[in-house]
Amino acid sequence: MKRILVIDDAATVRLYHREILEAAGFEVSEAINGLEALERVAEGPFDLYLVDINMPKLDGYGFLRELRGRDIPQAPAIMISTEAEESDQRRGFESGANLYLVKPARPDQLLAHVRLLLGEGPAS
Amino acid sequence: MALKKTTSNAAASADERQRPRDLPGLLTALADPDPLARRWAARDLAGLPEASSGLVDRLAVESEPSVIEVILTSLTRIGDERAVAGLTDCLRSDNTMLRNAAIEAMKQLPDEVAPWMGRLLVDPDPDVRIFAVNVLESLRHPQVEEWLIRVIAEDAHVNVCATAVDLLGEVGSEKAVPALHALKDRFGDEPYIQFAADLALKRVRAD
Repeated sequence: MKRILVIDDAATVRLYHREILEAAGFEVSEAINGLEALERVAEGPFDLYLVDINMPKLDGYGFLRELRGRDIPQAPAIMISTEAEESDQRRGFESGANLYLVKPARPDQLLAHVRLLLGEGPAS
Repeated sequence: MALKKTTSNAAASADERQRPRDLPGLLTALADPDPLARRWAARDLAGLPEASSGLVDRLAVESEPSVIEVILTSLTRIGDERAVAGLTDCLRSDNTMLRNAAIEAMKQLPDEVAPWMGRLLVDPDPDVRIFAVNVLESLRHPQVEEWLIRVIAEDAHVNVCATAVDLLGEVGSEKAVPALHALKDRFGDEPYIQFAADLALKRVRAD
């Protein structure tokens, strides 16, 4: 089962994404900020990251830069934020994101992107 | 106020605290090329209430995260109108670290921040409104629920409402029920709002 790490400081957002992803058959772990996410990563690899930007202690940009700088097996990352400016997206890609989504994500839209990045193709 | 010269910090002070520890001396040190000198200056300026303008001005150009942290701590300690205005300005910054640190600092000043909250929550920039709701998260102030109810009743931006409804689920009461139902009607085609409002309704009714 593919493992996805959801990183967001808002409990409701984490729960929303967890329910969508688990219903689609993924295993989901959570982290409330970038620092906690790095701890989760140290415990074992993930197949995909769903990363918010604005979080205390270590934001999404910082988490991705740190993750991408590590000598570990890498996985795709979707940055997902309320900020819709082009500059925010550019910074997301520069930090190591593979895709940038603007919140709030619709379940079908989120799953389509997740499956694409995991190389699974559209759901049957 | 006289500044104490501590002996415990003598070793560190020898290098980094060479300038006079009065306002002009500390403001000069706050622009020193050496980040250690700037950090010490920012720390010592916390003891001078008239230092908030200088600290806010430095915040606008400071790039070293450890110095920014100390400046924000000092502004929080001073907590006068200029200091709070400087913290609220940080909500408009493109620097994510500065913005998040300012949000954390503002949470420490409920009474000082409260008079600004009405204005921040109707700011033309939706990002600023979202960050203002983030401040409310830990702002121990009696008006928090009332502010959040007003946001979900009136704000047109889905993500501002989404941030507010998330928090309302944690701090809200039965008083929020009509506004939560109205929000669901207003954003009937938005799955996240339906999910978050239903969760908030469950939580406020369980209280």
